[in-house]
Amino acid sequence: MAASIYLPMLSSLHKINSHVNGIRGLISFSRNFSISQVAQNGGLRTKKGFRKWTPWKFEAVVPRTVKMAEDQDWTAVYPTAASFKPSAVPLPIRMGYPLKGGVSPDKQGNLELIKIPNFLHLTPAAIKKHCEALKPFLTEWPSALDSDEKCTEHFPIQVQTKDFVSSGASLRNPNARIVTMKVPLSSLNLDDHARKKIIKLAKERYCEETDTLTLVTDSCPLKQQNYDHAMYLLTVLYHESWKMEAWEEDKAREDMEEYEWQDSPSQRNVVELLERTKGTEERKKDLLSQPEVQEYKDAIVIMKNHGETEENLLRYKEAVKKLYNI
Amino acid sequence: MNLPKLCSRLLPTVAPKLRHRRIQTTGHQLEGVAPELSFSEPNLVSVFRTSEEDPALHSETHLGQYYEIPPGHVQQLFPHGLPRRFQLQIKTFNEACVMVRPPSLELISCLKRADYSKPAQRYVLYGHCGTGKTMSLCHVLHYCYNQGWLILHVPNAHLWVKNCTDHVESSYNPSRYDQPKQAMEWLKNFKITNDHFLSKLKTTRRYVWTKREATEEGQPLGELVDQGLNRLKNSSDVVGALLRELKLQAAGGTFKLAVAVDGVNALWGKTVLRKMNREMCEPEELTLIYNLRKMMKNDWCGGAILTALSRTDALFKPLSAYRPSELLGEEGFDKMEPFVPLQTTSYNEKEFESCYLYYLDRNWLQHSHSLSEEGKKELVFLSNRNPSVLEQLCSFI
Repeated sequence: MAASIYLPMLSSLHKINSHVNGIRGLISFSRNFSISQVAQNGGLRTKKGFRKWTPWKFEAVVPRTVKMAEDQDWTAVYPTAASFKPSAVPLPIRMGYPLKGGVSPDKQGNLELIKIPNFLHLTPAAIKKHCEALKPFLTEWPSALDSDEKCTEHFPIQVQTKDFVSSGASLRNPNARIVTMKVPLSSLNLDDHARKKIIKLAKERYCEETDTLTLVTDSCPLKQQNYDHAMYLLTVLYHESWKMEAWEEDKAREDMEEYEWQDSPSQRNVVELLERTKGTEERKKDLLSQPEVQEYKDAIVIMKNHGETEENLLRYKEAVKKLYNI
Repeated sequence: MNLPKLCSRLLPTVAPKLRHRRIQTTGHQLEGVAPELSFSEPNLVSVFRTSEEDPALHSETHLGQYYEIPPGHVQQLFPHGLPRRFQLQIKTFNEACVMVRPPSLELISCLKRADYSKPAQRYVLYGHCGTGKTMSLCHVLHYCYNQGWLILHVPNAHLWVKNCTDHVESSYNPSRYDQPKQAMEWLKNFKITNDHFLSKLKTTRRYVWTKREATEEGQPLGELVDQGLNRLKNSSDVVGALLRELKLQAAGGTFKLAVAVDGVNALWGKTVLRKMNREMCEPEELTLIYNLRKMMKNDWCGGAILTALSRTDALFKPLSAYRPSELLGEEGFDKMEPFVPLQTTSYNEKEFESCYLYYLDRNWLQHSHSLSEEGKKELVFLSNRNPSVLEQLCSFI
């Protein structure tokens, strides 16, 4: 039996290994253990008789972290996704609920670190290697498209799809059929009526802040079919919004998207007020072209379209005071 | 501002003297005592109190200070107009003191500059609950009263759209509903406020009540009002006739008409009164509301329309609503505009200081901790400087 430095740490590891790995692991762990002795007589029977059984004695094994150089190739240590190995990761990490002493347990034998997913196999160096490996299969990015604005200008339609890779009984994933198509309405050729109509048709698929129309199609079983369906929907929306139906003539004040001051009760009130104030000599057009009326109109339109805020109400107050000549 | 600190330092030494004097004197004698006191302790009283009793002479120098409404005016002008808690406060303190605040000053200055040969101008007081809309309205009404205007004050229009079980079909127009008790109550209070006008103004046409009863043309308006007070059945129609008469005669220029409605959002809101067929009444189907709406139009001149919104009594409105379009609704907003919106806010630091000193002066804050700086900070924190919340808090301590 070789001389062994008995470390209490190693003994605990030894116990774990003996439960987890089995004898084969044991053999691979200890380097100085001779297989021939085991094969002969279990190590206990000698020529003279039986020796007293003593516990296995192993040399202390130096963890790999000690032998690592600082400029080593990390992609060789973790070439693929693997669980956390404390002897292979040269970082003094602690994880878990603090022990009685007051600190989290260290990395040796820390189940918490083993449970969580790690991305030690996806360091920047590893990603670079992946990119280099993929490069022969790719073409150059067009040099003319060097900014985001140019991309949206020339290619306004953005199509997003997801592909799923997993290991299991089946390769298919039903979520892979979903296609999301985004188009900014400013890139479409729409006049005032067409724009209002397409927004009304699209309802919540249109976002006012970013001015994008988002169509999500998932009614067909295949991605290709869903993409074609989305393109069809866009075409139909565009052409329908340009058409003017007979019943659209009956659009009433309640259906309007924005508040219009022309022919509103507010305008009528102001005209009545001014007529009573100044007498009926002046015509309606002259009354409405006065600066106070314009200011009042602006204040009311802002209040109705953007809601009442302190600022809007103050502006309205000033406008009304001017109208009343106070 | 050093004055408040000076006051708080003076207060423990001066307060016992003040208390002794105030308890001995009655409300009327206070006016005689006040100048003497203000001469000897100018710092103390002039911070939160002013002796200027005419709202027409109030200006920015009086901002944040309390002025007293003479008791005679209170009884005549506000038989029903003041908030309930303020009425209790008047009884306790033996005086009606109102704080001069920016919204009411602004309104009064607008009224001073307005041209009364032009159509009536509309003003709407709005703000969060308890910030002083009704009190500001009362302040402005006191100004109008002092100037000799005819006051048409509807203290709470919401009283006419709820809590009424005895509404009956109108005899004048079968599609409308009368509210005899409410109408009579209002006529009684109207008479108290404007008695001196009712003998001078005459009716312009003949009103027929029944086969035997009629009010002739040229009779004093007082007879019209008495008809309403004596005959319960006709009281709502009398209110309508009265409003019509006042509207016509205000243009004459002999008097100015102040139409003051508190809780004006009731006119265009919903009611909780049921019709005969168990459906809910619309506001315009109630005679009183219908006639009041006619007054809100600006097709008459020679006066002003002063209104205040009210969220506390509003029916079916969210708790957070306080702005004009939220409470008036679309219809109400269209009918009321163009109006001058005036916002009431919680007390600022100076006004809070003033209110605190006033309560201390009146011995309302009995708790010893309220005299200290920490106690004051607690009050600021608990009430967030909201006038009504502060008043309710102080009534506990």
